[in-house]
Amino acid sequence: MLNMPWYRWLPVLLIGLSSLLVTAADLATEVTKRLDPAPVLRGDFEQRKTVGGFKQPLLSRGDFLLWRDHGVLWQTRKPFAASLVLTRKTLLARQADGSAAYRLDSRAQPALAAVNELLFALLGGDIATLAKRFRIEGELQGKEGWQLQLTPLDDGLARVFQRVRLRGDRYVRQVDLEEANGDSSQIRFEQLRQAPRPPTPR
Amino acid sequence: MLNPEEGAARSVRSRRWLALAWAVVVLGILAHQFQFWRASRLDTDVLALLPEDEQNPAVSAAGRQLADQAGRQLAMLVGADDWPAAKQAAAAARTALAGHTDLLQIQAGDAQAFDSTLAFYRPWRDRLLTPAQRDWLRQAGPEEVGGRALMQLYQPAGPKLGEWRDDPLGLWPQWWEARGQETRARPRDGQLWLRAEGRDWILLNYRSRSAGFAASGETPVTEALAQARAAAAAVVPGARLVAIGVPLYAEAAAAQASREMSTIGYGSLAAVLLLVWLTFRSLRPIALVALSLLIGCAAALSVTALLFERVHLITLVFGASLVGVAEDYGFHYFAARQGQPPEQRWRLMRALLPGLALALLTSVLAYLALGLAPFPGLRQMAVFSAVGLLAAFLTVVCWFPALDGGQLPRTVLADRLGRSLMRWPRWRPNRRGWLGLLGLACFIGLGLSQLRSQDDIRQLQSAPPQLIAAQRELGRLLGLPSPVQFYLIEGADAEQVLQRETTLKQRLDRLQAAGVLEGYRAVSDWLPAQSQQRTDAALTAAAEAIALQAVTRASGETASRADFAEPPLLPEQWLASPAAATLRAQWLGRQGDRYYSVLLLRGLDDNRVLPKLAAAAQGLGGVSWIDRTAQISSLMQRYRLMMGGLLVAGYAAVLLVLLWRFRRAAWRALLPTALGSLLTLALFGYLGEPLQLFNALALLLLLGMGVDYGIFLLEHPGDGSAWLAVALAGVSTLLSFGLLALSATPALRAFGLTMLLGEVLIWLLTPFFRPAHPAATLSRSHAP
Repeated sequence: MLNMPWYRWLPVLLIGLSSLLVTAADLATEVTKRLDPAPVLRGDFEQRKTVGGFKQPLLSRGDFLLWRDHGVLWQTRKPFAASLVLTRKTLLARQADGSAAYRLDSRAQPALAAVNELLFALLGGDIATLAKRFRIEGELQGKEGWQLQLTPLDDGLARVFQRVRLRGDRYVRQVDLEEANGDSSQIRFEQLRQAPRPPTPR
Repeated sequence: MLNPEEGAARSVRSRRWLALAWAVVVLGILAHQFQFWRASRLDTDVLALLPEDEQNPAVSAAGRQLADQAGRQLAMLVGADDWPAAKQAAAAARTALAGHTDLLQIQAGDAQAFDSTLAFYRPWRDRLLTPAQRDWLRQAGPEEVGGRALMQLYQPAGPKLGEWRDDPLGLWPQWWEARGQETRARPRDGQLWLRAEGRDWILLNYRSRSAGFAASGETPVTEALAQARAAAAAVVPGARLVAIGVPLYAEAAAAQASREMSTIGYGSLAAVLLLVWLTFRSLRPIALVALSLLIGCAAALSVTALLFERVHLITLVFGASLVGVAEDYGFHYFAARQGQPPEQRWRLMRALLPGLALALLTSVLAYLALGLAPFPGLRQMAVFSAVGLLAAFLTVVCWFPALDGGQLPRTVLADRLGRSLMRWPRWRPNRRGWLGLLGLACFIGLGLSQLRSQDDIRQLQSAPPQLIAAQRELGRLLGLPSPVQFYLIEGADAEQVLQRETTLKQRLDRLQAAGVLEGYRAVSDWLPAQSQQRTDAALTAAAEAIALQAVTRASGETASRADFAEPPLLPEQWLASPAAATLRAQWLGRQGDRYYSVLLLRGLDDNRVLPKLAAAAQGLGGVSWIDRTAQISSLMQRYRLMMGGLLVAGYAAVLLVLLWRFRRAAWRALLPTALGSLLTLALFGYLGEPLQLFNALALLLLLGMGVDYGIFLLEHPGDGSAWLAVALAGVSTLLSFGLLALSATPALRAFGLTMLLGEVLIWLLTPFFRPAHPAATLSRSHAP
């Protein structure tokens, strides 16, 4: 009656956007230094997703807005319109007509909070937090560039991601996600620019 | 006619034969005792004492199954003001308990169990829907369905289980999340977390390794938990650790029983032996009385163990009071034997025999009447006591004269006690006598008018209050389902049961939305009815066809849907799978020629919602609302009233026996008992003690024992030695039942208190009504 063996694996159900980082203290420190700590960042993305059952990679494009410590707005434009809003407390997926495809609440799902925390830690360069969850390997490239490979440390996360690769300079330029089920996504960011702070938090 | 010598030789032969026969029986008992204590099968579960529900055996089966399921599990919540502190405290508790792997084993969340459950359900994923999903699939247009499938496919974040083609609309994670709502604990950083009452809590599950309980009364699990609690508080001041589980209750019960058996059993044994020593100043009576008690208790235990599958701990505690009753026969023998030459002892025994046998008969009848109630616990106590008395009686009759060859001089104390009867006032049918009786009647009437009754299962609970408080707190924090209030669903086959559950759930969903209850746990959520599975499979097949078309249009590739099982998920398959682990106890399956399941409710803290829940079952075929607490109370009330009737019948029967033996003097034996019992009840009224089933049972026993005193005084009128025996018997009975009043089990305490008061009063009242025998003196009592 008190035992719910399957339930503690619910974090498996949740996938983070991207991630990164460190074991070697030098590498971590250096990458943090190279990353721009701008509070607000926007840009376009192009995603190539390889999904089981599809011969060709699935291409999608759109733009995103990152407001560090507050949230991410991820808008797909092609081949269809949809948006994904991620804050510390919620994950909300919406279709073009505004109907919610799903909404997850971190009060009900602390695993979601953990994923979001991970994401914000990554973008904010909070290496200490990330190092708790990933084994980090990588190299610095040239004066500005760097490349990292993250392997999940805990079992729950390993059931979602096999591996995460990040490449960037002042900004994260590319994220490769290898999911545990064999699917993979390659997300490239373009037109990255710092933007003014949005008027009100969501 | 036989000549006297021939007769004497014959009686010597029959005496030897009797003593030998009894010796053979005693040897058999000893052999059985050896086995019994080696493989002790003692029962500590309170519910095992309760009667079967004769109207609906499935309810009892449900109760048993729910109790068994909890089995060896131990749930523990470690709480602190914030999350990091809670993690620290939980880690400290875990480390402390890691040193007790021989006792407790942590139940880690094992990924394998989840994987195998997931794999088990996968072929039927298409027919597992939540009510909300069902609604959405029915009303969503092709645009919305297509859009959702695209998002599911393209977006980098979102819930998913397995590959996209297995579940193009992402329905499955939602179904699993709905299943997850059955508990408040949520995974967080690899732990089970919940926030409640201003604290962050971590849930730890342990399993106790010890199979039984320690007869020594040790409480290793409780002590290990105390260490864990201390460790948590040392690391995080103010941290709380709340733990509960059947092993803790079993330990507490065993420790309590062990303690009470020593205080009551050894206490009364010591008192009885001291009394014998003071009265007779000789070792022989002590040894023999102790022997009769030992054989009585051993025989009682053996026969109980043979007749019942398991002996209950409360039986042993109650049985410990037997010591104070079974010594009566030995007392009577030695009281009469005192000052008599040894060669008189056979004749003496013959003279005592009618009185002893009559006393045994009334006592055994009273004990056996206890067993008329179909309470398994009471039946055990009845058998235990009746057999114990019989064995003690046989030991006295068959062995005492043979083993008691020496001199037994009269002692000063015995003389004084015996003579005290002469000075005891006697009731006479004159003005003063009648006035006294009238006053007594008024006192009794006034007391009885203030008597209240109480029929509550709490009488049987003897668990320490801190354990009950912990149970409440944990249940409240976790929102655990109530094990005593539930719905019982019945049907001609498994399918009908599941369909009826589904109908009931629709009503409960409305109550849940209105906040009446927090949730429920139903087998049909995990094993939908076949009709439901067919409808749901058709719904998802239609919607997913639309979804695949939309994806084909967007990606330019023909997307295909995974294959699902053709036949539905059947109860047999489900029961054999790991998926059934947590729900198995709720599926009673076939009982007789019907099928049953139990639907449990969560978050029932408020008894005021119970009528609403009872109303929800109304008009639904095969669905009944079960409130075990209320049921048990009404059952106890029924038996209390029944025992009242039985008591009246018992008085009538005893009166008939007494009339047959004593003719017109019979009232002298019965009246003291009747008055003493009524006075006891009146005192309960004045004291505000409620009348319970167990008081009624004690009154029945008082009839059996109280009448003995009257019988002995009538059998041997004016005989100081009979009075001496009665006095000794009274004091020792009083001691053992008085000690029973110390028990932590409310039922036993009520029983003990009634016996204590009743015995004292009957004992004091009996000599008032002794027959007039002015010429009687102590010296001539047993002269030939």
